[in-house]
Amino acid sequence: MRREGSPWQGLGVVLLKEFADHLTSARMRVLEWLVVLVALAAIYAAITQVRDVTAQDPFLFLRLFTTSREPLPSFVAFLSFLVPLMAIGLGFDAVNSEHNRRTLSRILSQPIYRDALLFGKFLAGLATLTVSLLVLWLLLIGLGLIMLGVPPGGEEMGRAFIFLLVTIAYAGVWLALAMLFSILFRSAATAALVTLGLWLFLTVIWPALAPAIAQALVPSDDEAALIIAGQMLARLSPSTLFGEIVLALLHPTTRTLGPVYLSQLQGAVMGAPLPLSQSVLVAWPQIVGLVAACILLFAVGYIAFQRQEVRA
Amino acid sequence: MRIRLLSLAAMMMLLAAPVLAADAAKSDVKGLYLLTDYPAVTVQPGTTSTISLRLRNYGMAPERLALSVAGVPAGWKATLLGGGQPVAAAMPATDDSVALDLRLDVPKEAAMGTTTLTVSAEGASGTRVSLPIAVSLAKDLPAKLSLQTDLPQLRGASNSNFEYTLTIKNDSGKKLLVSLAANAPQNFDTSFTEAYGTQQLTAIPVDAGKTKDVKLKVTPPSTADAGTYPVTVRVAAEGAEATTKVELTITGEPKLELSGRQGLLSAQATAGKESTIPITVSNTGTAPAENVKLSGTAPSGWKISFDPKVIDRIAPNERKEVQATIQPPEKAIAGDYATTITAASRGETGSANFRITVTTSTMWGIAGVGIIGVALLILVGAVVRFGRR
Repeated sequence: MRREGSPWQGLGVVLLKEFADHLTSARMRVLEWLVVLVALAAIYAAITQVRDVTAQDPFLFLRLFTTSREPLPSFVAFLSFLVPLMAIGLGFDAVNSEHNRRTLSRILSQPIYRDALLFGKFLAGLATLTVSLLVLWLLLIGLGLIMLGVPPGGEEMGRAFIFLLVTIAYAGVWLALAMLFSILFRSAATAALVTLGLWLFLTVIWPALAPAIAQALVPSDDEAALIIAGQMLARLSPSTLFGEIVLALLHPTTRTLGPVYLSQLQGAVMGAPLPLSQSVLVAWPQIVGLVAACILLFAVGYIAFQRQEVRA
Repeated sequence: MRIRLLSLAAMMMLLAAPVLAADAAKSDVKGLYLLTDYPAVTVQPGTTSTISLRLRNYGMAPERLALSVAGVPAGWKATLLGGGQPVAAAMPATDDSVALDLRLDVPKEAAMGTTTLTVSAEGASGTRVSLPIAVSLAKDLPAKLSLQTDLPQLRGASNSNFEYTLTIKNDSGKKLLVSLAANAPQNFDTSFTEAYGTQQLTAIPVDAGKTKDVKLKVTPPSTADAGTYPVTVRVAAEGAEATTKVELTITGEPKLELSGRQGLLSAQATAGKESTIPITVSNTGTAPAENVKLSGTAPSGWKISFDPKVIDRIAPNERKEVQATIQPPEKAIAGDYATTITAASRGETGSANFRITVTTSTMWGIAGVGIIGVALLILVGAVVRFGRR
């Protein structure tokens, strides 16, 4: 039966309810504590390291994000691992739990469309992630201010803010993926396992596998073509995209993310930072890739959900 | 047997005959002689001088000969030395000689004039030889120097060196240590070196009656104006001095300096697009710069051109503006690049390093927004197509 009227009807109700559920759920609390504690450890390590090692740096504040101290990884490395985990944790049972609790048909008997239900669930998940990431981000900057005593510059804040937005988009990709599987699989455990498996595959295995596949696919002996093909394949993984964006945004001296010919480096003044707009331009394809992947994954999940039988 | 002996003796006589003849020729001079190379000498009062003598015996039997010096004025000291010791007698062997030295100590206050000393040797058998030696007292010759140069007038640019070869002549009777000095305008650097050497000198020894060449190097300050500058060279030793004047004519020269407008040495350029940088060429030298050509070195693939390419003339303390057009290649990576822009006018060059900040085109950024738009359109399409109750 065709929908009549706006697909947004009831969106607010679903969003607020889901948001409230997320923030009060035990699962979310555990995830939050995990993330906050781990992030605090990383920040503390970074600050002590920055104090010990860095003499002068025009982007001292950005060092807080990227500096690591053995044995802990840097804050950014933590985020690239834990943000997918949080997103998957929030999204893996979004739809199938409703099925299993037999509440889906009851909700849909209300004046709420399926569109609004899915949009609401996704947006609520994203809002939850945004809140926690924002808190984390503010925590980092506050701690940095207290422990370093150096106020961050405007450009640094700009870079850090764009980094926050990119992290939210990165979380959105995994949230959309987790929701897609929660629609496709009726069992929450299956959905969680498949999503986590895919995450591990894309994060750990794919970057190592991509050059090998490129070698098999590209028959030419051209070294540069091979490297470019390998990089293109590796960029199918959101983790790779996120890593490259972080590199361009938080290391202002990064000039390019692809392979560079020696002739392009001739006469270049090394170590000179790029302006923020240029850094964003360098990482722009990756940013676009993350946002578009998030939207497309949600669209696929939406189509699947619309075509599903909800009366169990 | 007897005849044989006689003939042998005759033969021996024959053989000996030339030897005897030679002896006879040598023995033309016979007797005892006191000899010296210069029997009339000049000495300075207050000094000790030595006159070498020889007592020669030609074909006389050796004999003890007592030595004496007569006619020594009061206050003078005349000593005969043989083998370094004072001696009173000598004994030359036949056809041999004994070397003697007459040492004269002349007091400072001795009167000028000529004194004749007589050295004599007297034997017990009445043999007697004597040698008069005329000793003249004279003051030393005064020190005298002369200074000459072949090329006293040189011409060159203010950044060149002016080198003069000077000939110092010592016209006095003894070796002199000649000190060298040059008086040049303020901030002009002068130095003396050997004619073929690099070691700088302040004084040079010159033997009596000899000449020596020294080189004077004058380095004007690079800011010296065009004009003629005199340099006075003075050499002096023991009250004697000589001076000469040399001149150097400095021709002015241009000096080029480059900068961006208001001294800026940085500029922005977009990859694949031309951008124009105003460049100021100023002449801070002392002569006009003519035919100033502009060129630039940039990374390969970059295009640099100038408008105008050549500046006809820049007068001293004047500046001209040139537009430089820089185009980084399409594939240039964003960031800072160093380029050098050079202005050249007949050997004089000025250059400046410009820092070009390359930005990449935002076209791909717009394309990215388009891709996100397409993704959103797909979502909207799905909402429209699959929306249901």
